[in-house]
Amino acid sequence: MSELLLRLESLAGELPQRTETAIVLTLAAYFAGLRLFAWLRSPAWCPPILLASCLLALCLALLPLDYAEYRQGVEWLTWLLGPATVALGVPLYQQVHHIRALWKPIALTLPPAAMLAAGYAVGIAWLLNASPQVLASLAPKSVTAPIAMGITQALGGSVSLLMGALLITGVMATLGITVMARGWRLKDERIIGFALGVNGHAIGTVRAFEIGPTAGAFASLGMSLTGVFTALWLPLMWHFVG
Amino acid sequence: MRMLSILRGFLGLAAFLLLGDILVRLFAIPLSSGVAGMLLLTFWLLLRRHLSHDLTAASQPLIGMLALLIMPGVVGIFFQAGEFAGQWPTIFIALIAGTLLSSWTTLWLMRRLVPDTRDNAHE
Repeated sequence: MSELLLRLESLAGELPQRTETAIVLTLAAYFAGLRLFAWLRSPAWCPPILLASCLLALCLALLPLDYAEYRQGVEWLTWLLGPATVALGVPLYQQVHHIRALWKPIALTLPPAAMLAAGYAVGIAWLLNASPQVLASLAPKSVTAPIAMGITQALGGSVSLLMGALLITGVMATLGITVMARGWRLKDERIIGFALGVNGHAIGTVRAFEIGPTAGAFASLGMSLTGVFTALWLPLMWHFVG
Repeated sequence: MRMLSILRGFLGLAAFLLLGDILVRLFAIPLSSGVAGMLLLTFWLLLRRHLSHDLTAASQPLIGMLALLIMPGVVGIFFQAGEFAGQWPTIFIALIAGTLLSSWTTLWLMRRLVPDTRDNAHE
């Protein structure tokens, strides 16, 4: 009996670092978030990922589990972000004929849209006296997570603040664009999708795929082009201005 | 059969990721390996002009999982919120106002520049 207790004790010390603990928690929170989302009748202002993240944070806070330990355990899952980013090349290729047909508006819209997606927020934060670290964390806020993480590290920002910024940006862009498109009676899936991808990165793209395959393709296109474009101009500009 | 197809597609995606990683490090390009891999895959597909069933089978589930994959990073903010004490109002105002402004600008620009689909059909 006492041996069993000893084993239980060592198990309790080991479990938090285990990959399966992190993955079970993440997946369980994800599906619970999806359920909660459906139960709340799919509110546009609160995507399932926000609900799921709150549930996961609550689990981590209640359980004797360190965030750093969790991060290490869940690495197996977050690694998939790499191949998932590569996979975005497939819808991009499938929609190349759209890019060919619309290269002019895309070439004219993308640079100002991507620059303003960073510029407005950094400008407002700078006017309100935010610290340089906060500015560097907010700058890549409209870029898809794997690229944005690389950019913010190069600028000297905080990855976790960036993640929060990405979430708020994704939610606000999705909400804002949905409301604006309705207000303007805008039905063109290409425009809505592109705007969702440029401003709302992966969260906007998920929403665009819900609207339709064309919107999804244009969102992936907008997201990829914004990511690549921002990764190239932002570090240069930062160096120049700062 | 379907499982093998997904695995073969996954091999392709991972190989492009690896290739992207090598190129990014070799030439010190300020891109993440994933983005470099995505660009390489797109160029390769454009050159071959053929999309294999395997790649589609592996890509679709991965893209559907994107929200799940960024969750662990998102959760981090709840545990490091103290570092930015006093700056939260600024952060929220900048993010919310900045994002709404930039979304509005993109929609406005695209609406002016994209030709209507109905006109396109007559070309």
